[in-house]
Amino acid sequence: MNKQIIVKGLDENGERISTQIFEELVQEAFTKSHDLVLETYGQHNVGGRLKSGGETVNIEINGPCGQRVGCMGMPGTKIVVNGPASDDVGWLNIGADITVKGDATNGVCNAMAEGKVYIGGSIGARGLTMTKWNPEYKRPELWILGSCGDSFAEFNCGGVAVVCGIDAKTPDNVLGYRPCVGMVGGSIYYHGKIDKSYSQINVKAVLLSDEQWQWLMDNLPVYLKSIDRMELLEQLSKRDEWSMLDAIPPQERALMKTGPMPMSEFVRTIWNPGFGGGDPLRDLAPGLDRSPIGLIETGDLRRKKPFWANRDKAAPCAYYCPVHIPTIDRLKLMREGKGDEAYEMLMEYTPLPASVCGHICPNLCMKNCSRQKIDEKIDVQMLGRAAKDKAAPKAAPSLGKKVAIVGGGPAGMNAAWQLAKSGVEAHIFEKDNKIGGKLAQVIPWERMPKAIWDAEIARFMSVENITVDFDVDMTKEKFSELQNDFDHVIVAVGTHSPRTIPFPGHEKVIPALDFLKDAKSKNPTKLKGNVVIIGAGNVGCDVACDAYALGAEQVTLVDIQQPLAFGKEKAAAEALGAKFKWPVMTKEVTDEGLVDAAGHLIPADTVIISIGDVPALKFLPDSVEVITVGGAGWVKCDPAGRTSDPKISAVGDVERPGLATNALGAGKNVADSLIAEFKGEEYKPFAKDLIPQMSLTHTHYAPDNQCGVSESTEADRCMSCGTCRDCHLCETICPEGAISREKLPDDSFQYVSEDDKCIACGFCADTCPCGIWLIKPF
Amino acid sequence: MVSIRSIPSEPSSLSPNDLPWRIVHDENRCTLCGKCAAVCPVNTLKLSYMRKRMPRMVLNSSERGSNFKTFVGIRQSTDVGRRCVGCGTCSMVCPNEAIAPVHNSTDRYKFQATAGGDAAKRGGRRNDASSSLLDRIIFNRISMLTDPALDAGRHEFTYNTILGRVLPPEEYIKRKLSGEWIPPTREIFPFIIGSMSFGALSPNMWLGLLQGVAYCNEVLGIPVVMATGEGGCPPWVLKSPFLKYIILQVASGYFGWDEIIRAIPDMQCEPAAIEIKYGQGAKPGDGGLLMWFKVSKLIARLRGVPEGIDLPSPPVHQTLYSIEESVMKMIQSMSMAWNFKVPVYPKISGSTSAKAVLNNLVRNPYASALLIDGIDGGTGAAYDISLNATGHPIATNVRDCYLDLCKQGKQNEIPIFAAGGVGKNGNVVQNALALIMLGASGVHMGKFIMQSAAGCLGSEQNRCNVCNVGICPKGITSQNPKIYRRLDPDKVAERVVETFQAIQVEVKKVMAPLGRSQSLPIGMSDALGIADKDAADRLNIQYVC
Repeated sequence: MNKQIIVKGLDENGERISTQIFEELVQEAFTKSHDLVLETYGQHNVGGRLKSGGETVNIEINGPCGQRVGCMGMPGTKIVVNGPASDDVGWLNIGADITVKGDATNGVCNAMAEGKVYIGGSIGARGLTMTKWNPEYKRPELWILGSCGDSFAEFNCGGVAVVCGIDAKTPDNVLGYRPCVGMVGGSIYYHGKIDKSYSQINVKAVLLSDEQWQWLMDNLPVYLKSIDRMELLEQLSKRDEWSMLDAIPPQERALMKTGPMPMSEFVRTIWNPGFGGGDPLRDLAPGLDRSPIGLIETGDLRRKKPFWANRDKAAPCAYYCPVHIPTIDRLKLMREGKGDEAYEMLMEYTPLPASVCGHICPNLCMKNCSRQKIDEKIDVQMLGRAAKDKAAPKAAPSLGKKVAIVGGGPAGMNAAWQLAKSGVEAHIFEKDNKIGGKLAQVIPWERMPKAIWDAEIARFMSVENITVDFDVDMTKEKFSELQNDFDHVIVAVGTHSPRTIPFPGHEKVIPALDFLKDAKSKNPTKLKGNVVIIGAGNVGCDVACDAYALGAEQVTLVDIQQPLAFGKEKAAAEALGAKFKWPVMTKEVTDEGLVDAAGHLIPADTVIISIGDVPALKFLPDSVEVITVGGAGWVKCDPAGRTSDPKISAVGDVERPGLATNALGAGKNVADSLIAEFKGEEYKPFAKDLIPQMSLTHTHYAPDNQCGVSESTEADRCMSCGTCRDCHLCETICPEGAISREKLPDDSFQYVSEDDKCIACGFCADTCPCGIWLIKPF
Repeated sequence: MVSIRSIPSEPSSLSPNDLPWRIVHDENRCTLCGKCAAVCPVNTLKLSYMRKRMPRMVLNSSERGSNFKTFVGIRQSTDVGRRCVGCGTCSMVCPNEAIAPVHNSTDRYKFQATAGGDAAKRGGRRNDASSSLLDRIIFNRISMLTDPALDAGRHEFTYNTILGRVLPPEEYIKRKLSGEWIPPTREIFPFIIGSMSFGALSPNMWLGLLQGVAYCNEVLGIPVVMATGEGGCPPWVLKSPFLKYIILQVASGYFGWDEIIRAIPDMQCEPAAIEIKYGQGAKPGDGGLLMWFKVSKLIARLRGVPEGIDLPSPPVHQTLYSIEESVMKMIQSMSMAWNFKVPVYPKISGSTSAKAVLNNLVRNPYASALLIDGIDGGTGAAYDISLNATGHPIATNVRDCYLDLCKQGKQNEIPIFAAGGVGKNGNVVQNALALIMLGASGVHMGKFIMQSAAGCLGSEQNRCNVCNVGICPKGITSQNPKIYRRLDPDKVAERVVETFQAIQVEVKKVMAPLGRSQSLPIGMSDALGIADKDAADRLNIQYVC
């Protein structure tokens, strides 16, 4: 079995045997001996696939060697090539030890998994590529005495190479150009110079560890002996002449992903120096801080900021009331158990809370009450009526001024009331024999009980600083006297000149004003049969009611347009049987009745015209500018009632027709303006904006089935629009704990949000029941 | 008057379901931390208190009634001006995954986006979420045993492109020998960061991009350049060694050019090129507009204008009247500013008239290239109609121009650069190489780099797209330091670097199987295929299926 067998690559004729036949000869020889000499003549794939079962198989190759010597070599096979070898030595070798005494060309150890390849010279390109290492077996090794060609160790994933650099083909670069591309495992020991073209993302240059040096020194003699170059042992045993390229593990490579230089180093060494060593915007924007911040910030980095805007905005009640009576403040005082103070405050605003707020006012305050979004509006009429017997406010010390007020209707009354309580002498000159203007003259007692009216008039008349002259017919001369005798004159004569239309028979028509005054007199004229009222507004409805009361059988209200009547007045007239007819244009009035434009008769025993009244201003001096609207003259005023003459003001219907409350409000405004003037202060009219409903949080309140039951239910139901009710909910909701309540020295309080805690989420504003917290851009 | 109890209805009243983005909030997961409402860029989110009614039966009449329960949730405003834009920053800050915007395809907002009589505008992109033509072009000429098979991971590739006029060899040699002027050229990476101005972009974004570009050049050796857009360049940048990576733009507003001209004597190097903007793909026929709230003190100083005013760039250069005059005046003047050593090229909107412009440039010795910006280009601010429906898709425009050059035998002389939707769906290398193989010498990309390097949240479903109003939640297009400081320029730079590294990898992955490693496959249209016969015929590429 151990008898050496020689297999020849040339046949007896000296012709080359094909690789296939040669392989068959080798395999046949192998069955007889494990000691073969192969005299090759360029046959390929020689020396592989010789499985011995543990015994060493010695293959000696003489002659020109073909490609892929040792291809698919088996463990136990020892191949010695006595000369150079062609491409792909050890291709797919899984264990053979292959010694090539001379050089080898390209592809040495390609895809080799186990075994050793000893090269006695240099190798060509792409050595040790795709070389494996299965950890179950020994590591494949490639020993090279000289140098490597280009693209060495590409995709090497476990093979170890030792490159000695002796008699190198490329002594300046023993590993060739761009070695180790894609190399993921294994290492390369080298002795001699290399360039920097190795793949720096795959391998790193390291020095040999003690263990590695020991391995090298243990194995180097074996290698040198195999290639018969033991004389080099000493030369190659200098540790400081050896280096190594070691595969970078993937974990380490992941850390290098942004490139070979950390960004901070780039900034320090290249970026900043490029701008002369500073921020590139330092000249354009000195001190600009561009350092990174997060998405949620506090303090000055917030884009918005909360504000506790207590009493910044007006509640709808105060805003819409022409007198701006702050109903929410009254209810707040009631909630605080300060009922008396609540009424004192109300009396500061109006002399007629029970008559006007409590009865005849359409209550604009409550039309807009926020509470309606939950259940019912606050019943302010009840609150007004409850003030019937409250005392008038005490007068302030005298300012030494006196003001004449021409006309004692609601406008003049409130002007006098306000002036009097501020220490100004108010002298009313009234044409009628009673005070109260149209309220007293024409509003039916059904709508405003006489007892309440009388009580409020009595209270008014009892106020010091108020004097009333009755039955005064104002003339130019008289007015001029007032100008001389008083510091200021307020014109509050209202509209007492009925508007009429000059159609034929107009003289048969009774003006509503005259009718209503008569109806409210002690001995009213009785009516009968059909009554037709021209003008179907609310005054027309009052006329209709009185007409029924005075004996009319059928009342018809006609208008040229859809009737403007609304509310209680309209309902009362309809309840009594009044009919509304429109469009009706009056052609004439005859003894039979009203004839319309089409010539149809509406039978009437009495025809009353109710299309409004206009001022009678004959007494006014020329210094007061009057504008003509709709054929009548009206005094031109600023919002405080001041006319073109600085010593004369005008308020109430004389400026423009309105509700009794408008007159009360105008009276208060002119008084406030005069008081400020007398005191030398700036007049500050009511200027608050209406609180938007959106800013309130209605949902905190549940619908209550105890609406309008008592003053205390109303106080409890009030939503305190725009005024903090101290509920602490903002403190509760703030996710950052930034909001706290602070007590102020005057025993009041405020809520504050700490800037360095607040993230400006706006929850305080979204939560606040009263709309106090606002979140504004910052 | 609507009573206070009632709910007013106006023509523009919208319900939550009418909005383009619906906030979905899970009350059970919410901890009421307030972060979503604090961060929302449009202030649409608010804490909402809601009431539940539970009727109960009680036989005792004095106690009859319902029980009420209040509950809270985060709700969005239905106000047209404060609608949710879908940016999703709320989801980003929510600790509990309790909130997110969800796109609503049946929105009615689009009918109401005309408040004040102005047509709808926005920033961002064309709202066309369909896949782009460029996404459908594939590279189907694979070299295996027929050509050298290349390995993207192993082989070395040259894929830079030339920006500048390339003379025919005989002309080049003749001029070289006689010492005549040779037109300037730049070897650059074919993926160029498209023109976005210092002003449209925040300082942190703009400088972050430049920092990344500088890193690519100085550390990685990738010759990336970026275009500035109109609006100048900070003087320290003009005087820095990084100017060579910057294409300066001159447009009809000439903003920032005083500082540029002032800095010329102090420049250490020349800019990469000068881009003359005549048009923009996103809004052809429309000029630029930097809204007043983006004109901060810094921007005002840089552009040489007062603070807080609108800065319109007119749609056209007011003193240019014809192609010939434009070329003479603009290209020659800009070339002369740097002694004819800097490439100068015009940028135009994609248009059926692009070939006419190109033919003029071919005859102009100073014209260095032509940049065509297609309809899918992005912008800081434009009318919807301009963004969505005005302009020309880039693919056929580039193809027609390139084939026209081929007919004249000039295809290697004057490079065409393509822009407009490159990478709009994330496939930046696929799109760019398709355009290159159709004939472009390189591409400009804007939106892609914003998305990739800074996390821009915009999408073709009109997500975010509020660049025009300066409230960019990422800090990319805001001039408010409280917003733009969210963007760390170092991190932007890192992402720029990673992006270009990855682009390099993908370019190699396409070039290797084509068997090309030594030059960019400009015009290599035999490698392109598309499963759309009409598109294939129109582009003169292969129909494959």
